[in-house]
Amino acid sequence: MGKYWAAFSLSIQQELYYRASFLMERARSITVIIAFYAFWSAVFQGRDTLLGYTRSQMFTYILGMNVLRALVFSDKTWELMHEINTGKISSYLMRPISYVGFCLSRDAADKATQLVSSILEVALAAWLLKIPLYWPAHPATFAVFGLTLALAIVLYFLMSYIVATFAFWTSESAGPRFCFELFLEFSSGAFFPLDVLPRIFQSVFSFLPFASLLYFPLNVFLERITGPLLARGLGVQVFWAVLFVWAARRLWERGLKAYSADGG
Amino acid sequence: MKRYWQVWKRLAVMAFLMQFTNRWSSLGWLGGKFVRLAFFILFIVSIFRHVPSVAGYSLEAVALFFLTFNLVDIIAQILIRGIYMVGRDIREGDMDFYLIQPVNALFRVCSNLVDFLDFLMLIPVVGLILWVFPRILAGYSGEALLMNGLLYVLLCANGLVIAFSIHVLVAALTLRTQQMEETIWMYRDLVNLGRFPVDIYTPFLQVILTFVFPIAVMVSYPSKALLGLLSPQKIVLAFALSAALLAVALESWKRALKHYSSVSS
Repeated sequence: MGKYWAAFSLSIQQELYYRASFLMERARSITVIIAFYAFWSAVFQGRDTLLGYTRSQMFTYILGMNVLRALVFSDKTWELMHEINTGKISSYLMRPISYVGFCLSRDAADKATQLVSSILEVALAAWLLKIPLYWPAHPATFAVFGLTLALAIVLYFLMSYIVATFAFWTSESAGPRFCFELFLEFSSGAFFPLDVLPRIFQSVFSFLPFASLLYFPLNVFLERITGPLLARGLGVQVFWAVLFVWAARRLWERGLKAYSADGG
Repeated sequence: MKRYWQVWKRLAVMAFLMQFTNRWSSLGWLGGKFVRLAFFILFIVSIFRHVPSVAGYSLEAVALFFLTFNLVDIIAQILIRGIYMVGRDIREGDMDFYLIQPVNALFRVCSNLVDFLDFLMLIPVVGLILWVFPRILAGYSGEALLMNGLLYVLLCANGLVIAFSIHVLVAALTLRTQQMEETIWMYRDLVNLGRFPVDIYTPFLQVILTFVFPIAVMVSYPSKALLGLLSPQKIVLAFALSAALLAVALESWKRALKHYSSVSS
């Protein structure tokens, strides 16, 4: 466990050392908040509810989007692709440490720094702009929200890990990964709640794993998803998580067999 | 002029060959850009199924703002994408190489990467603008049509000048400090605020987006001019602002070049 803690600690130091990159990453999230907060404020002008969301629920969704983006979407699997393509992964494979464990420690460090920053941004925005926030009426909601969030983090890690392993077979995986990430962000509700979209899109997205990443946990927090719908959503999360664990293991084993590195 | 065209053409062909060689990667980048465009259009169209207007603008008007933002941004990316690599050029010594070439160093840096994927992105954007135009201009008189149309084109060109100036300022800063190239990503983030009509933002933010980071002038003013919502004072302000910014950017670049000392071996 000490080895993984050391990897986590070193990654935190690395994150804070490259402050410019860190700040740029945060700047992107802040502009998304500003743009969508302003947009939804304009949309909500003269009305109290829209698409079944009250004003406070919608703004909590927008701000919650920022926090969950930081917690769920921050990851270091881009580095995994780079390490495979450059052969750097060889040195990790020879060390007495699980590479997946190392990736998880690195991801956790990224999530920790991003989360602290996003919470500060959201608190500042809510205070400065006097944004009305929605807090769950039932204490149990927090526990269920925590569970859905944990599953969302696991799901995203597995998905990005699977896409990153394509680097074992091609050095051209960066473009497809970019496409995957954008599709994932939109279809997970990371730009707007999926309820905005026509029914057909909502139906399709509800069966895909992406909505489980942001839209589902946020709507659990807002107490808009309860009872059978909550059970169904949890079932979808568990189903995809099990499937992706299996796929990730298979791809990793096959990828290692296909992997070769030259030079020293 | 002919020499510059020849150089640009050669660099463009090289960039195309590079992107064509890495076709799976290029296809992925292109797919991502299409996904982003498609989802935003879907979002805008979908929201108008629930509300009649946003900040007083109709669906066609909001779509025009969004498409104009894309038009200016994409053309800027096609023409000056190379500036994003200026930090690497300095560190790896390519900048020294550009300086001894018989072409303007700034032109050489800008043309370093002509992104053909953005050329392809122009097709749906221009197509959609042509679809939106008649719906917006339906009730206009011939004179207003000509005037507003001309202003739209001129202000789009003005937006390109602003985009170019901001990129040159960042390049000058990078040349001066041999770092700070990440600043360009700050611009990329801020320019995204221009996706929606600038009127949705608070008055304070509107001032910032007009005078400090003139994103509003760059991507919102052309659409406002077409809709007949831009006063003559603001039109003059837009051109004056871009002229001043261009002068400052070019002067900063010249000064940065004077202070430049090679960093590579």
